[in-house]
Amino acid sequence: MPRVSLNQPAPDFSLPDFPGNNFSLSELKGKKNVLQVFNRAFL
Amino acid sequence: MAQLRQDHELFVNRDVVVVVVGPEDADSFAAYWQKEALPFIGLPDPKASVLKLYGQEVNLFKLGRMPAQVLIDKEGIARFVHYGHNMSDIPSNEEILALADEINV
Repeated sequence: MPRVSLNQPAPDFSLPDFPGNNFSLSELKGKKNVLQVFNRAFL
Repeated sequence: MAQLRQDHELFVNRDVVVVVVGPEDADSFAAYWQKEALPFIGLPDPKASVLKLYGQEVNLFKLGRMPAQVLIDKEGIARFVHYGHNMSDIPSNEEILALADEINV
């Protein structure tokens, strides 16, 4: 399975957020840092 | 997640947008966000497209996905990558915030 490597570009993606707005990682480029959190489930 | 919410302001102060990706559908996200009053961006990924893209580990013997965190700087470079080996293998907010301070310099 591919993994993100340290100090390498993070793969870009677009996905609708839960209210339905489009979220695109590249839109934050040059503006914000991003902490991506991958969870197992809402427990 | 509660700890992350508690420290959310500290992330915002460091120009960090917190994005939570999970395998649940939009309705489950909406219900959970409302219940917990979460300020983060929530991205339902029921097809696991981003989860696979980022290589989130699935451990069948531990019944599910292992937690993972990736801090990406403003240039789009991954500056912190952590793949958990069990459900409680999650880095502290302090560790991530300290790194955010470093990449903002």
